[in-house]
Amino acid sequence: MTRLELVTEEPGDAPFSTGEPLPRRLPPGRHGIPANLVREHQRRRLLAAMAEALAEHGYAGVTTTHVSERANVSTSTFYNHFGNLWDCVLAAYVAGAERLCEEIDAACAARDPRSAPLEVGIDAALAFLSAEPALAQLLCAQAPREAISVTAARRLLVSRLAAMLRRERGAEEAPAQPPGLDERLIDATLAFVCARIGAGEVARLVELGPELTAILDRPRRAA
Amino acid sequence: MRQEACLTANKSLGVETTAPTPDATVREGEMEGALHVVGELGYRGASVRAVLEFSGGHRKQFYDHFDSLEDCFEQAYETWIERLGISLLEAAVSASGWGPGVQAGLIRLFRFVTEQTAIARALFVEVHVAGGAALGVHDEALERLAAALDSVRAEIEPAEAPPEATGIFVVGGIEACLCEVLAEGNQSRIWDALPELMHLAVGSYLGKEAAEEAFEGARVLLERDRAGLGSKGA
Repeated sequence: MTRLELVTEEPGDAPFSTGEPLPRRLPPGRHGIPANLVREHQRRRLLAAMAEALAEHGYAGVTTTHVSERANVSTSTFYNHFGNLWDCVLAAYVAGAERLCEEIDAACAARDPRSAPLEVGIDAALAFLSAEPALAQLLCAQAPREAISVTAARRLLVSRLAAMLRRERGAEEAPAQPPGLDERLIDATLAFVCARIGAGEVARLVELGPELTAILDRPRRAA
Repeated sequence: MRQEACLTANKSLGVETTAPTPDATVREGEMEGALHVVGELGYRGASVRAVLEFSGGHRKQFYDHFDSLEDCFEQAYETWIERLGISLLEAAVSASGWGPGVQAGLIRLFRFVTEQTAIARALFVEVHVAGGAALGVHDEALERLAAALDSVRAEIEPAEAPPEATGIFVVGGIEACLCEVLAEGNQSRIWDALPELMHLAVGSYLGKEAAEEAFEGARVLLERDRAGLGSKGA
Protein backbone atom coordinates (compact mmCIF):
# COMPACT_ATOMS: atom_id res chain seq x y z
CA MET A 1 0.00 0.00 0.00
CA THR A 2 1.38 3.41 -0.92
CA ARG A 3 2.17 5.61 2.05
CA LEU A 4 -0.17 8.58 2.35
CA GLU A 5 2.20 11.41 3.03
CA LEU A 6 3.43 14.42 1.11
CA VAL A 7 7.06 13.43 1.56
CA THR A 8 9.93 15.74 0.71
CA GLU A 9 12.35 14.06 -1.63
CA GLU A 10 15.68 15.20 -2.98
CA PRO A 11 15.24 17.37 -6.06
CA GLY A 12 15.83 15.18 -9.06
CA ASP A 13 14.84 12.00 -7.26
CA ALA A 14 11.15 12.71 -6.99
CA PRO A 15 8.88 11.48 -9.74
CA PHE A 16 7.88 14.33 -12.08
CA SER A 17 10.55 16.41 -10.33
CA THR A 18 12.35 17.78 -13.34
CA GLY A 19 9.46 18.34 -15.69
CA GLU A 20 11.65 16.75 -18.41
CA PRO A 21 9.89 14.17 -20.58
CA LEU A 22 11.02 10.68 -19.61
CA PRO A 23 12.30 8.25 -22.27
CA ARG A 24 9.43 5.90 -23.12
CA ARG A 25 11.57 2.90 -22.18
CA LEU A 26 15.10 1.89 -21.31
CA PRO A 27 17.33 0.24 -23.94
CA PRO A 28 16.46 -3.45 -24.34
CA GLY A 29 18.86 -6.28 -23.56
CA ARG A 30 21.98 -6.11 -21.38
CA HIS A 31 22.30 -2.39 -20.77
CA GLY A 32 24.22 -2.61 -17.50
CA ILE A 33 21.91 -0.13 -15.72
CA PRO A 34 21.57 -1.06 -12.02
CA ALA A 35 18.28 -2.76 -11.14
CA ASN A 36 17.26 -0.05 -8.65
CA LEU A 37 17.57 2.64 -11.34
CA VAL A 38 15.56 0.55 -13.77
CA ARG A 39 12.88 0.19 -11.13
CA GLU A 40 12.85 3.90 -10.34
CA HIS A 41 12.62 4.73 -14.04
CA GLN A 42 9.69 2.36 -14.44
CA ARG A 43 7.93 3.94 -11.47
CA ARG A 44 8.33 7.44 -12.85
CA ARG A 45 6.98 6.34 -16.22
CA LEU A 46 4.02 4.68 -14.52
CA LEU A 47 3.17 7.81 -12.53
CA ALA A 48 3.35 10.02 -15.61
CA ALA A 49 1.29 7.46 -17.54
CA MET A 50 -1.32 7.33 -14.79
CA ALA A 51 -2.10 11.04 -15.08
CA GLU A 52 -2.17 10.85 -18.89
CA ALA A 53 -4.40 7.77 -18.94
CA LEU A 54 -6.80 9.41 -16.50
CA ALA A 55 -6.94 12.54 -18.64
CA GLU A 56 -7.78 10.42 -21.68
CA HIS A 57 -10.19 7.84 -20.23
CA GLY A 58 -11.48 9.55 -17.10
CA TYR A 59 -12.10 7.79 -13.80
CA ALA A 60 -14.98 5.89 -15.40
CA GLY A 61 -12.89 4.11 -18.00
CA VAL A 62 -9.25 4.06 -16.94
CA THR A 63 -7.64 0.63 -16.38
CA THR A 64 -4.24 -0.70 -15.33
CA THR A 65 -3.75 -1.84 -18.94
CA HIS A 66 -4.10 1.76 -20.18
CA VAL A 67 -1.44 2.82 -17.68
CA SER A 68 1.05 0.02 -18.30
CA GLU A 69 0.73 0.36 -22.10
CA ARG A 70 1.43 4.10 -21.89
CA ALA A 71 4.40 3.49 -19.60
CA ASN A 72 5.72 0.77 -21.90
CA VAL A 73 5.84 -1.81 -19.14
CA SER A 74 4.03 -5.13 -18.75
CA THR A 75 0.96 -5.49 -16.54
CA SER A 76 2.99 -7.67 -14.18
CA THR A 77 5.55 -4.85 -13.86
CA PHE A 78 2.67 -2.52 -12.97
CA TYR A 79 1.68 -4.88 -10.14
CA ASN A 80 5.30 -5.10 -8.98
CA HIS A 81 5.04 -1.40 -8.22
CA PHE A 82 1.42 -0.95 -7.13
CA GLY A 83 -1.18 -3.16 -5.48
CA ASN A 84 -3.97 -1.85 -7.70
CA LEU A 85 -5.05 1.04 -9.88
CA TRP A 86 -5.97 3.26 -6.93
CA ASP A 87 -2.54 2.84 -5.32
CA CYS A 88 -1.04 4.14 -8.55
CA VAL A 89 -3.49 7.08 -8.70
CA LEU A 90 -2.60 7.93 -5.12
CA ALA A 91 1.15 7.79 -5.78
CA ALA A 92 0.73 9.98 -8.87
CA TYR A 93 -1.39 12.43 -6.86
CA VAL A 94 1.11 12.67 -3.99
CA ALA A 95 4.06 13.16 -6.36
CA GLY A 96 2.17 15.77 -8.39
CA ALA A 97 1.05 17.62 -5.26
CA GLU A 98 4.65 17.74 -4.08
CA ARG A 99 5.77 19.26 -7.36
CA LEU A 100 2.99 21.88 -7.30
CA CYS A 101 3.97 22.97 -3.77
CA GLU A 102 7.65 23.09 -4.73
CA GLU A 103 6.85 25.32 -7.72
CA ILE A 104 4.87 27.75 -5.55
CA ASP A 105 7.52 27.75 -2.81
CA ALA A 106 10.31 28.40 -5.31
CA ALA A 107 8.41 31.26 -6.97
CA CYS A 108 7.59 32.90 -3.62
CA ALA A 109 11.18 32.54 -2.39
CA ALA A 110 12.55 34.15 -5.55
CA ARG A 111 9.96 36.90 -5.83
CA ASP A 112 10.74 40.56 -6.19
CA PRO A 113 10.03 42.12 -2.75
CA ARG A 114 7.81 44.72 -4.45
CA SER A 115 5.48 42.08 -5.88
CA ALA A 116 2.51 40.68 -3.95
CA PRO A 117 3.24 37.17 -2.63
CA LEU A 118 -0.33 35.97 -3.19
CA GLU A 119 -0.21 36.97 -6.83
CA VAL A 120 3.22 35.39 -7.33
CA GLY A 121 2.08 32.12 -5.76
CA ILE A 122 -1.11 31.97 -7.83
CA ASP A 123 0.74 32.77 -11.05
CA ALA A 124 3.30 30.04 -10.33
CA ALA A 125 0.57 27.49 -9.60
CA LEU A 126 -1.38 28.37 -12.74
CA ALA A 127 1.75 28.28 -14.93
CA PHE A 128 2.62 24.83 -13.56
CA LEU A 129 -0.91 23.46 -14.03
CA SER A 130 -1.17 24.94 -17.50
CA ALA A 131 2.10 23.27 -18.54
CA GLU A 132 0.96 19.90 -17.12
CA PRO A 133 -2.70 19.55 -18.11
CA ALA A 134 -2.99 15.85 -17.28
CA LEU A 135 -1.49 16.37 -13.85
CA ALA A 136 -3.65 19.48 -13.35
CA GLN A 137 -6.77 17.43 -13.97
CA LEU A 138 -5.62 14.74 -11.54
CA LEU A 139 -4.83 17.28 -8.80
CA CYS A 140 -7.95 19.43 -9.14
CA ALA A 141 -10.72 16.90 -9.94
CA GLN A 142 -12.83 15.01 -7.42
CA ALA A 143 -11.89 11.34 -7.08
CA PRO A 144 -14.44 8.50 -7.09
CA ARG A 145 -15.59 6.67 -4.02
CA GLU A 146 -13.22 3.73 -4.61
CA ALA A 147 -10.28 6.13 -4.42
CA ILE A 148 -10.96 7.40 -0.90
CA SER A 149 -7.20 7.65 -0.27
CA VAL A 150 -6.96 10.11 -3.17
CA THR A 151 -9.67 12.22 -1.52
CA ALA A 152 -7.54 12.18 1.65
CA ALA A 153 -4.46 13.18 -0.35
CA ARG A 154 -6.47 16.04 -1.89
CA ARG A 155 -7.37 17.20 1.60
CA LEU A 156 -3.69 17.17 2.56
CA LEU A 157 -2.87 19.25 -0.50
CA VAL A 158 -5.65 21.72 0.35
CA SER A 159 -4.31 22.05 3.93
CA ARG A 160 -0.80 22.57 2.68
CA LEU A 161 -1.81 25.21 0.14
CA ALA A 162 -3.96 26.93 2.78
CA ALA A 163 -0.94 27.06 5.11
CA MET A 164 1.10 28.61 2.29
CA LEU A 165 -1.67 31.16 1.74
CA ARG A 166 -1.60 32.09 5.45
CA ARG A 167 2.19 32.28 5.41
CA GLU A 168 2.31 34.60 2.41
CA ARG A 169 -0.48 36.76 3.80
CA GLY A 170 1.42 37.34 7.02
CA ALA A 171 0.90 36.12 10.57
CA GLU A 172 -0.75 39.33 11.80
CA GLU A 173 -3.96 38.66 9.87
CA ALA A 174 -4.36 35.05 10.88
CA PRO A 175 -6.18 35.44 14.21
CA ALA A 176 -8.81 37.74 12.68
CA GLN A 177 -10.04 35.08 10.34
CA PRO A 178 -12.30 32.08 10.96
CA PRO A 179 -10.39 28.80 11.07
CA GLY A 180 -10.96 26.72 7.98
CA LEU A 181 -11.74 29.65 5.69
CA ASP A 182 -8.46 29.37 3.79
CA GLU A 183 -9.15 25.68 3.19
CA ARG A 184 -12.53 26.63 1.68
CA LEU A 185 -10.86 29.22 -0.54
CA ILE A 186 -8.30 26.69 -1.77
CA ASP A 187 -11.02 24.08 -2.34
CA ALA A 188 -12.95 26.61 -4.40
CA THR A 189 -9.80 27.50 -6.35
CA LEU A 190 -9.12 23.87 -7.26
CA ALA A 191 -12.75 23.41 -8.32
CA PHE A 192 -12.57 26.60 -10.38
CA VAL A 193 -9.37 25.49 -12.14
CA CYS A 194 -10.87 22.03 -12.73
CA ALA A 195 -13.94 23.58 -14.37
CA ARG A 196 -11.75 25.70 -16.65
CA ILE A 197 -9.76 22.61 -17.66
CA GLY A 198 -13.03 20.78 -18.32
CA ALA A 199 -14.10 23.68 -20.54
CA GLY A 200 -10.93 23.17 -22.62
CA GLU A 201 -9.22 26.31 -21.34
CA VAL A 202 -5.95 24.77 -20.11
CA ALA A 203 -3.80 27.10 -22.17
CA ARG A 204 -5.66 30.11 -20.76
CA LEU A 205 -5.20 29.15 -17.10
CA VAL A 206 -2.32 31.60 -16.74
CA GLU A 207 -4.65 34.46 -17.71
CA LEU A 208 -6.82 33.75 -14.66
CA GLY A 209 -4.15 34.97 -12.21
CA PRO A 210 -5.40 38.55 -11.62
CA GLU A 211 -9.05 37.47 -11.32
CA LEU A 212 -8.26 34.63 -8.90
CA THR A 213 -6.05 36.91 -6.83
CA ALA A 214 -8.89 39.44 -6.57
CA ILE A 215 -11.42 36.74 -5.61
CA LEU A 216 -9.14 35.23 -2.93
CA ASP A 217 -8.41 38.63 -1.49
CA ARG A 218 -11.98 39.98 -1.37
CA PRO A 219 -13.31 38.24 1.80
CA ARG A 220 -10.49 39.96 3.72
CA ARG A 221 -11.16 43.44 2.37
CA ALA A 222 -13.51 46.06 3.74
CA ALA A 223 -16.41 46.81 1.40
CA MET B 1 -32.20 36.37 -3.55
CA ARG B 2 -34.34 37.62 -6.43
CA GLN B 3 -37.77 36.23 -7.22
CA GLU B 4 -37.06 36.35 -10.98
CA ALA B 5 -34.28 33.77 -10.66
CA CYS B 6 -36.72 31.26 -9.18
CA LEU B 7 -39.53 32.08 -11.57
CA THR B 8 -37.30 31.63 -14.63
CA ALA B 9 -36.06 28.30 -13.34
CA ASN B 10 -39.64 27.16 -12.60
CA LYS B 11 -40.80 28.03 -16.11
CA SER B 12 -38.09 25.91 -17.66
CA LEU B 13 -39.20 22.87 -15.67
CA GLY B 14 -42.68 22.47 -17.15
CA VAL B 15 -44.17 21.30 -13.88
CA GLU B 16 -46.27 18.13 -14.14
CA THR B 17 -49.83 18.71 -13.00
CA THR B 18 -51.50 15.42 -14.01
CA ALA B 19 -51.18 12.11 -12.15
CA PRO B 20 -48.28 10.02 -13.51
CA THR B 21 -49.11 6.85 -15.44
CA PRO B 22 -47.99 3.48 -13.99
CA ASP B 23 -45.29 3.31 -16.65
CA ALA B 24 -44.03 6.78 -15.72
CA THR B 25 -43.92 5.69 -12.08
CA VAL B 26 -41.81 2.65 -12.99
CA ARG B 27 -39.50 4.84 -15.07
CA GLU B 28 -39.19 7.31 -12.21
CA GLY B 29 -38.31 4.44 -9.87
CA GLU B 30 -35.64 3.20 -12.24
CA MET B 31 -34.10 6.65 -12.45
CA GLU B 32 -34.06 7.02 -8.68
CA GLY B 33 -32.60 3.51 -8.49
CA ALA B 34 -29.81 4.45 -10.91
CA LEU B 35 -28.80 7.44 -8.80
CA HIS B 36 -29.07 5.45 -5.60
CA VAL B 37 -26.94 2.59 -6.93
CA VAL B 38 -24.33 4.92 -8.41
CA GLY B 39 -24.17 6.74 -5.09
CA GLU B 40 -23.83 3.51 -3.12
CA LEU B 41 -21.55 1.45 -5.40
CA GLY B 42 -19.82 4.17 -7.38
CA TYR B 43 -20.27 4.81 -11.10
CA ARG B 44 -17.75 2.13 -11.99
CA GLY B 45 -19.47 -0.47 -9.85
CA ALA B 46 -23.09 0.23 -10.87
CA SER B 47 -25.09 -2.23 -13.02
CA VAL B 48 -28.59 -2.55 -14.46
CA ARG B 49 -29.09 -5.56 -12.23
CA ALA B 50 -28.36 -3.51 -9.11
CA VAL B 51 -30.74 -0.78 -10.31
CA LEU B 52 -33.52 -3.34 -10.84
CA GLU B 53 -32.90 -4.84 -7.41
CA PHE B 54 -33.45 -1.37 -5.97
CA SER B 55 -36.45 -0.34 -8.12
CA GLY B 56 -38.10 -3.78 -8.36
CA GLY B 57 -38.69 -3.52 -12.14
CA HIS B 58 -37.91 -5.86 -15.03
CA ARG B 59 -34.98 -5.76 -17.40
CA LYS B 60 -37.21 -5.47 -20.49
CA GLN B 61 -39.09 -2.53 -18.99
CA PHE B 62 -35.78 -0.87 -18.19
CA TYR B 63 -34.59 -1.18 -21.78
CA ASP B 64 -37.96 0.07 -23.04
CA HIS B 65 -37.26 3.25 -21.11
CA PHE B 66 -33.53 3.65 -21.54
CA ASP B 67 -30.85 2.68 -24.07
CA SER B 68 -28.36 1.74 -21.37
CA LEU B 69 -27.42 2.31 -17.76
CA GLU B 70 -25.47 5.39 -18.85
CA ASP B 71 -28.58 6.75 -20.59
CA CYS B 72 -30.67 6.10 -17.47
CA PHE B 73 -28.08 7.83 -15.28
CA GLU B 74 -27.96 10.86 -17.58
CA GLN B 75 -31.75 11.25 -17.67
CA ALA B 76 -32.02 10.71 -13.93
CA TYR B 77 -29.24 13.18 -13.35
CA GLU B 78 -30.93 15.89 -15.38
CA THR B 79 -34.26 15.41 -13.59
CA TRP B 80 -32.87 15.36 -10.06
CA ILE B 81 -30.34 18.15 -10.38
CA GLU B 82 -33.06 20.42 -11.80
CA ARG B 83 -35.41 19.54 -8.95
CA LEU B 84 -32.70 20.20 -6.42
CA GLY B 85 -31.79 23.51 -8.07
CA ILE B 86 -35.42 24.66 -7.95
CA SER B 87 -35.72 23.56 -4.34
CA LEU B 88 -32.63 25.57 -3.36
CA LEU B 89 -33.85 28.65 -5.18
CA GLU B 90 -37.26 28.34 -3.53
CA ALA B 91 -35.62 28.18 -0.12
CA ALA B 92 -33.51 31.22 -1.00
CA VAL B 93 -36.36 33.42 -2.23
CA SER B 94 -38.46 32.59 0.82
CA ALA B 95 -35.87 34.32 3.04
CA SER B 96 -35.78 38.08 3.40
CA GLY B 97 -32.65 39.45 1.77
CA TRP B 98 -29.72 38.05 -0.16
CA GLY B 99 -27.53 36.89 2.74
CA PRO B 100 -30.34 35.08 4.59
CA GLY B 101 -31.35 33.64 1.20
CA VAL B 102 -27.90 32.17 0.70
CA GLN B 103 -28.04 30.67 4.19
CA ALA B 104 -31.52 29.22 3.61
CA GLY B 105 -30.32 27.68 0.33
CA LEU B 106 -27.31 26.12 2.05
CA ILE B 107 -29.47 24.71 4.84
CA ARG B 108 -31.87 23.18 2.30
CA LEU B 109 -28.86 21.71 0.46
CA PHE B 110 -27.34 20.26 3.64
CA ARG B 111 -30.67 18.68 4.58
CA PHE B 112 -30.81 17.04 1.14
CA VAL B 113 -27.27 15.73 1.61
CA THR B 114 -28.01 14.25 5.03
CA GLU B 115 -31.43 12.82 4.10
CA GLN B 116 -30.68 11.55 0.57
CA THR B 117 -27.00 10.80 0.95
CA ALA B 118 -26.62 8.19 -1.79
CA ILE B 119 -28.37 10.38 -4.35
CA ALA B 120 -26.35 13.42 -3.26
CA ARG B 121 -23.18 11.38 -3.72
CA ALA B 122 -24.27 10.51 -7.25
CA LEU B 123 -25.17 14.14 -8.03
CA PHE B 124 -22.00 15.74 -6.66
CA VAL B 125 -19.20 13.14 -6.51
CA GLU B 126 -19.85 10.38 -9.03
CA VAL B 127 -20.91 12.77 -11.79
CA HIS B 128 -17.24 13.74 -12.04
CA VAL B 129 -16.45 10.07 -12.66
CA ALA B 130 -19.28 9.65 -15.18
CA GLY B 131 -18.32 12.71 -17.23
CA GLY B 132 -20.11 13.07 -20.58
CA ALA B 133 -23.61 14.53 -20.86
CA ALA B 134 -24.31 14.30 -17.13
CA LEU B 135 -21.27 16.41 -16.33
CA GLY B 136 -22.45 18.97 -18.88
CA VAL B 137 -25.84 19.14 -17.13
CA HIS B 138 -24.02 19.44 -13.79
CA ASP B 139 -21.99 22.39 -15.07
CA GLU B 140 -25.12 24.13 -16.35
CA ALA B 141 -26.87 23.62 -13.01
CA LEU B 142 -23.91 25.14 -11.17
CA GLU B 143 -23.92 28.09 -13.56
CA ARG B 144 -27.61 28.72 -12.79
CA LEU B 145 -26.89 28.73 -9.06
CA ALA B 146 -23.92 31.03 -9.63
CA ALA B 147 -26.21 33.37 -11.60
CA ALA B 148 -28.67 33.37 -8.69
CA LEU B 149 -25.85 34.28 -6.28
CA ASP B 150 -24.82 37.02 -8.68
CA SER B 151 -28.18 38.75 -8.18
CA VAL B 152 -26.59 40.66 -5.28
CA ARG B 153 -24.52 42.63 -7.79
CA ALA B 154 -27.53 44.93 -8.18
CA GLU B 155 -26.82 46.13 -4.62
CA ILE B 156 -23.09 46.73 -5.18
CA GLU B 157 -21.60 49.91 -6.61
CA PRO B 158 -20.15 49.17 -10.09
CA ALA B 159 -16.71 50.37 -8.99
CA GLU B 160 -16.81 47.86 -6.12
CA ALA B 161 -18.15 44.96 -8.21
CA PRO B 162 -16.51 41.59 -7.50
CA PRO B 163 -14.73 39.72 -10.33
CA GLU B 164 -16.97 38.16 -12.96
CA ALA B 165 -16.13 34.58 -11.95
CA THR B 166 -17.07 35.07 -8.28
CA GLY B 167 -20.37 33.17 -8.51
CA ILE B 168 -18.95 30.04 -10.09
CA PHE B 169 -15.96 30.21 -7.71
CA VAL B 170 -18.24 30.23 -4.65
CA VAL B 171 -20.52 27.49 -5.99
CA GLY B 172 -17.45 25.37 -6.78
CA GLY B 173 -16.18 25.86 -3.25
CA ILE B 174 -19.51 24.76 -1.78
CA GLU B 175 -19.58 21.69 -4.00
CA ALA B 176 -15.98 20.77 -3.12
CA CYS B 177 -16.97 20.85 0.55
CA LEU B 178 -19.95 18.56 -0.13
CA CYS B 179 -17.76 16.18 -2.13
CA GLU B 180 -15.30 15.87 0.72
CA VAL B 181 -17.86 14.86 3.34
CA LEU B 182 -19.78 12.63 0.92
CA ALA B 183 -16.66 10.80 -0.26
CA GLU B 184 -15.71 10.17 3.36
CA GLY B 185 -19.24 8.99 4.22
CA ASN B 186 -19.35 11.59 6.98
CA GLN B 187 -22.24 13.71 5.74
CA SER B 188 -23.47 14.93 9.13
CA ARG B 189 -20.18 16.86 9.35
CA ILE B 190 -21.43 19.15 6.57
CA TRP B 191 -23.23 21.28 9.17
CA ASP B 192 -19.87 22.28 10.68
CA ALA B 193 -19.02 23.98 7.40
CA LEU B 194 -22.06 26.29 7.38
CA PRO B 195 -20.34 29.32 9.02
CA GLU B 196 -17.23 29.01 6.82
CA LEU B 197 -19.29 28.65 3.65
CA MET B 198 -21.40 31.66 4.62
CA HIS B 199 -18.18 33.61 5.12
CA LEU B 200 -16.92 32.45 1.73
CA ALA B 201 -20.16 33.30 -0.13
CA VAL B 202 -20.94 36.62 1.53
CA GLY B 203 -17.32 37.78 1.79
CA SER B 204 -16.65 37.05 -1.87
CA TYR B 205 -19.33 39.57 -2.83
CA LEU B 206 -19.68 42.02 0.03
CA GLY B 207 -16.28 42.00 1.75
CA LYS B 208 -14.94 41.47 5.22
CA GLU B 209 -17.53 43.04 7.55
CA ALA B 210 -20.51 41.39 5.88
CA ALA B 211 -18.61 38.08 5.82
CA GLU B 212 -17.88 38.24 9.54
CA GLU B 213 -21.50 39.06 10.30
CA ALA B 214 -22.71 36.14 8.14
CA PHE B 215 -20.18 33.80 9.78
CA GLU B 216 -21.28 34.81 13.25
CA GLY B 217 -24.97 34.52 12.37
CA ALA B 218 -24.49 31.00 11.04
CA ARG B 219 -22.36 30.01 14.01
CA VAL B 220 -24.99 31.20 16.49
CA LEU B 221 -27.75 29.48 14.51
CA LEU B 222 -25.80 26.20 14.61
CA GLU B 223 -25.09 26.54 18.30
CA ARG B 224 -28.74 27.25 19.09
CA ASP B 225 -30.52 24.82 16.83
CA ARG B 226 -28.17 22.33 15.23
CA ALA B 227 -30.42 19.35 15.84
CA GLY B 228 -33.47 21.19 14.53
CA LEU B 229 -31.77 22.36 11.33
CA GLY B 230 -31.42 18.84 10.07
CA SER B 231 -35.07 17.99 10.54
CA LYS B 232 -37.17 21.02 9.63
CA GLY B 233 -37.35 23.86 7.16
CA ALA B 234 -35.32 26.93 7.94
